[in-house]
Amino acid sequence: MSFAGRLATAVLLTPALLIVGLAFVVPLARLVGRSFNSPVGPFAAYAQVLGDDIYARVFANTFFFAVVVTIISLLIAYPVAFMLTRLTANWRAALFSCVLLPLWISVLVRTFSWMLLLERNGPINRVLVGSGLSDQPVALLFNHTSVLIGMVHVLLPYAVLPMFAALVRIDPALLRASEGLGAHRHTTFFRVLLPLSLRGVATAATFVFLLSLGFFITPALLGGSASITLSMLIDGFVNDRLDWPLASAASVVLLVAAMVVVASVGRFVSIGSMAGVHR
Amino acid sequence: MIGRIALNAFVALVAAFLVLPIVAVVPGAFSAQSFIRLPPETWSLRWWNTFFADPSWRRTLISSLQVAMLTTFVSATAGTAAALGIARCGPRVQTVLTGIFLGPIVTPVIVMAVALYAMALSTGLVGTMTALVAAHTMMALPYVVLNVGVSLSGLDRRLLLAAAGLGADPVRVFQTVTLPLIAPGVIGGSVFAFVTSFDEVVLSIFLAGPAAKTLPVRIWEEIRVEYTPVVAVAASVMLVLALMAAIGSRFAARKLSP
Repeated sequence: MSFAGRLATAVLLTPALLIVGLAFVVPLARLVGRSFNSPVGPFAAYAQVLGDDIYARVFANTFFFAVVVTIISLLIAYPVAFMLTRLTANWRAALFSCVLLPLWISVLVRTFSWMLLLERNGPINRVLVGSGLSDQPVALLFNHTSVLIGMVHVLLPYAVLPMFAALVRIDPALLRASEGLGAHRHTTFFRVLLPLSLRGVATAATFVFLLSLGFFITPALLGGSASITLSMLIDGFVNDRLDWPLASAASVVLLVAAMVVVASVGRFVSIGSMAGVHR
Repeated sequence: MIGRIALNAFVALVAAFLVLPIVAVVPGAFSAQSFIRLPPETWSLRWWNTFFADPSWRRTLISSLQVAMLTTFVSATAGTAAALGIARCGPRVQTVLTGIFLGPIVTPVIVMAVALYAMALSTGLVGTMTALVAAHTMMALPYVVLNVGVSLSGLDRRLLLAAAGLGADPVRVFQTVTLPLIAPGVIGGSVFAFVTSFDEVVLSIFLAGPAAKTLPVRIWEEIRVEYTPVVAVAASVMLVLALMAAIGSRFAARKLSP
């Protein structure tokens, strides 16, 4: 490329690189620096975050929610993704709208809706009591269950879309061949359909797990005192305790966890394709 | 056959689970009482009047729209330029650049919020429009770069060569050939950018202040303490505006696609 051509490329890239540099790279680098800047010693903050029993419970909670939400989302999303490949054009468009619509709405609005639905006097409790399934209102809100419901609701679309992308590429003739050769439906699923869509399942699992790890709004609003996650702990370090070394160290732990997830699957899962499914 | 029916029923249930809880907040906004009960026992518009009569709620709505529009403008221009720049680079540089621009998508939002809050504190930008727009632009930029990138990859290079061969200078080629052909990507990316900013909560909670507070931040503050149906009105306003953006982008995409 000529010098003028290179110059034009640089000019085109400069504004965006400046934004990413000043609002992403520099703040993150400073945060990492700050995590080693505890008055007691460079690794004091990490020792405190990783050594405390109470914080260990928070890490366990965060990991528990991420794993359970990922498993539930995959189990619910797979049949939906499969259905999307089998429907006629109009029904497919309708089901697609149902999957994509939630992605347009703020997580805050969706979580607020769940607060109203799961309330002690809310509609779900009234149905439970009215139908005789329960004698008295059940505590549906401010516990692990409400956090799981809210998170699965928000993250389900991210599981459906990559799995649909993988399933739609499978030649239906392969399934017919398997059945034509006398394979049971379970055999066809486990030996043909599932292996061929495994890459989509992996992408879905990665995306849901990654987003779960850093979830803040939903657990903060729907969770109880026993369902504190790492992001809520970080928020507390900053806003209640004003302890920057601790907040920074906890943030770096979360960041490293996310990077490990991305790096360990990055070889066969494209991050670009994960971002591309968004909306 | 039974399996087929069970599958249909299951998928219908999931579709309902995805959509119904979202609109559950709307009836709450039409309550006549001072608390939310779904569905309300008596209906009224009083909380809508409260919302639009209260200058502080109105101001948060206006701030939200201002931040979203500025974010859309900055990320659409910078993102489109960046996508054009990336397309001019070699494959290796392309991979590196795409990686840099995708960074904000894979970084946990709370980590970004804390990092940006620390940065804003030391530069005196906490509670300013500048901080909110910068943070939202960082979040929205990847979607513009990706969308325009997809449009560009489908672009027939021979059209550009033909225009240049017919004597058009690079600026004219861009205006008359490139831009109209990548318009769906630019518009799609811009709508994403607008909604990303308008819906954004976590970064805004940390960066907002009394002078610059967006609608989601105010809703967040209210529902953490005690709330009246006016919060359901605010949530419904967010819902309706986001839906309008979704439907609008559908129409634009259909109109523009050849």
